Amino acid sequence: MSGHALTLGAPERVVVRYGELALKGGNRGDFERALARNLKDALKPIAPVTVERQRGRMLVTPEGRVEEVAQRAARVFGVKSVSPAWSSAPEPEAIATLARAVFLDALAQLPSGSERTMRVRCKRADKRFPMTSVEFDRYLGERVLAGVEGVRVQLDRPAIELGVEVRPAGVTVFARRIAGPGGLPVGTQGRGLCLLSGGIDSPVAAWMSMKRGLAVSFVGFHSWPYIGAASKQKLITLATALCGWQSRARLYVVPFAPIQLAIRDHAPESYRTILYRRMMQRIASEIAGRDGHDVLITGESLGQVASQTLDNLRCIELAATRAVLRPLIALDKDEIIAIARRIGTFEISNVQEPDCCTVFMPAHPVIRGEPALCERAEAALGVEELVRAAVAEVEIVRIER
Amino acid sequence: MSAPIQLDAAATTPLDARVREAMSVWLGERSANPSSRHGPGARARAALDEARERIARASGARAADVVFTSGATEANNLAVLGAARARTKHGRHLAVGASEHASVREPALALAREGFEVAWLPLGPDGLVDLERAAGLLREDTVLVAQMLVHNESGAVHPVRELARLVRRRAPRAHLHVDAVQALGKLELSLPALGVDSLALSAHKVHGPQGAGALVLAGNPPLAPLCFGGEQERGLRPGTENVAGLVGFGLAAELAESERPRFSAAAARWRSEFLAGLADFEGWRVLEPAVQVPSILGLVAPEPPAEIRRNQLEARGLITGAGSACQATKRGLSPSLAALGLSEVEIRRFLRLSLSRESVACDPAAVLGALRMVDEELSRLARSAR
Repeated sequence: MSGHALTLGAPERVVVRYGELALKGGNRGDFERALARNLKDALKPIAPVTVERQRGRMLVTPEGRVEEVAQRAARVFGVKSVSPAWSSAPEPEAIATLARAVFLDALAQLPSGSERTMRVRCKRADKRFPMTSVEFDRYLGERVLAGVEGVRVQLDRPAIELGVEVRPAGVTVFARRIAGPGGLPVGTQGRGLCLLSGGIDSPVAAWMSMKRGLAVSFVGFHSWPYIGAASKQKLITLATALCGWQSRARLYVVPFAPIQLAIRDHAPESYRTILYRRMMQRIASEIAGRDGHDVLITGESLGQVASQTLDNLRCIELAATRAVLRPLIALDKDEIIAIARRIGTFEISNVQEPDCCTVFMPAHPVIRGEPALCERAEAALGVEELVRAAVAEVEIVRIER
Repeated sequence: MSAPIQLDAAATTPLDARVREAMSVWLGERSANPSSRHGPGARARAALDEARERIARASGARAADVVFTSGATEANNLAVLGAARARTKHGRHLAVGASEHASVREPALALAREGFEVAWLPLGPDGLVDLERAAGLLREDTVLVAQMLVHNESGAVHPVRELARLVRRRAPRAHLHVDAVQALGKLELSLPALGVDSLALSAHKVHGPQGAGALVLAGNPPLAPLCFGGEQERGLRPGTENVAGLVGFGLAAELAESERPRFSAAAARWRSEFLAGLADFEGWRVLEPAVQVPSILGLVAPEPPAEIRRNQLEARGLITGAGSACQATKRGLSPSLAALGLSEVEIRRFLRLSLSRESVACDPAAVLGALRMVDEELSRLARSAR
């Protein structure tokens, strides 16, 4: 026997699951609201959507482009997994017919040679439904598999997990799960300002901070005319790529040449790089204070280059007046590159453009910087005036996706 | 700041207002598919035919022999790949200019990976293709020769007519293709007078739009198309034509030709005034091939690398080039500058000034002034860095 044949159309909805978030006692409401807002923000450019909050999940109904909506939702932080889904009337017969069609569609998409195993997982939150859970599981299993050859039921890690959720708001059926990035909804942990260099590391640091719920803006240092317009464009391209994960950001572009000239002319050569970075920390702290960014974020990784020894990191950090987060501090370069590839910033970073740190680069940078020597060198610079002038000349690029 | 002076015309030129005007109706109310048989389609076809006539007149060819493309890169690819692949029964040997643009060099290298043998035609000490050595490289089984007419970095005018005679004698089965992108509007361009089999042209180098170009053929040489799926452009370039762009190209080519004498004279004056002033500068060198167009000036500047100098010049309202913009983002150094005999250090310090009909009106003294200021700034920086 077999159920009524059903030609399966495109999925109509997207089930969005969140993990950690569901555990956050008192803040849960706030977190869920933030996630719903972020989802709408992210999906708006693809299609208008409605977002329904259910227990432990959200049901997204777009006006079209369901596949793209699902893919994009799977890049929203806080999301654990996403399933394109079909809706059914709340009647056993209709549900079974749809479930069978969804299952056969998933079966047809299994790569040849892969094992053909499945299970049905029902959730029955609507107690008005005419069958008990146990009855319904059995009923569905029989109807879905009727006449299908060579498929085995397997409860542990089956190739196809057919999900059926019966809720008062409606019935959804799905067979595919797209993994989300996890983490916490952007914005729920505050705002960060990431120092963006154009290299491989800092975009990864920004991404990791977003993942843990920070809304990240960017500050780049541009040594025009020692560095060309293409380098600034690269910062914009990177920031835009990262907005694929949080929808919008600001990029502050700081004119940095006057500061580098002052340092080159008045400070010991071996300290140049550390002093550049101390100035960056000061300027970023200033911008953060002015525009309400809670912390600074850098892509520093312990010992990766001369300016990232413990002594030098300390010299640099002392100039900041905000807390500094370094999400990459314990990662190897290979690990950072692997993330950069995954999040789509590697190819952009890997285009060779000079950045401001290559301007007047010292032949032998100091390895064990001393804070007292930094301060002595800076006494001749007029630090406050340089910072004030740089912040006054900042260009703000608004990035939206 | 006032509008910058654009001295990077060899990369692209601003769209002529008359060209923009001519294009606009084809982007608007008259937009139609020239392959459609209804009235609007027929009118688009007529506009395309007129553009074809204009390109034919500007290059001395027959209108029927103009194959429209998306630009010179496509035209060069079609000529190099298409001619070689259509002639494999005669041989698998190519002879390609050592200083060709990447859109000729790279397809030749792709053919080498398919099993063709490539000989590179070297330049002589005069900066022009060395005919004597070329003669030694041409063979009975040479099926394609490619040599550009005007070099995009040095301005050299290569002796293509003489090369053509040589090719006919030594490699009678070869298709001779000429990248003439930088020649249009600068020289009297005549396919029959050159005696070659094809010319590649581009609209945006002569104040036309980007995205329009042509491969101009001598008659009907065997060519294997790169794309399939339509009868347009003799089946060599199927797909609905870019009507607005090609209408713009037609007019741009006609204007380039009619204004050529005036432009050439103005460019020659500009060049000699500029070079007279530059003689007072220390450490600069001018590339001076034996024959050249005046509107392209290849320069080797003193230290530091030209990138820094070009940024400094841009900050002072002067846009300059660093050789082929198509290769500017690659990490490697321009092989065509190496073929011109420049060392690695010189290639890094290479700076190109190139004039358009618009920028030829700028004052060479103003340009020299900006160069002087930047020279002083950079040498001051170099001193204090020590």
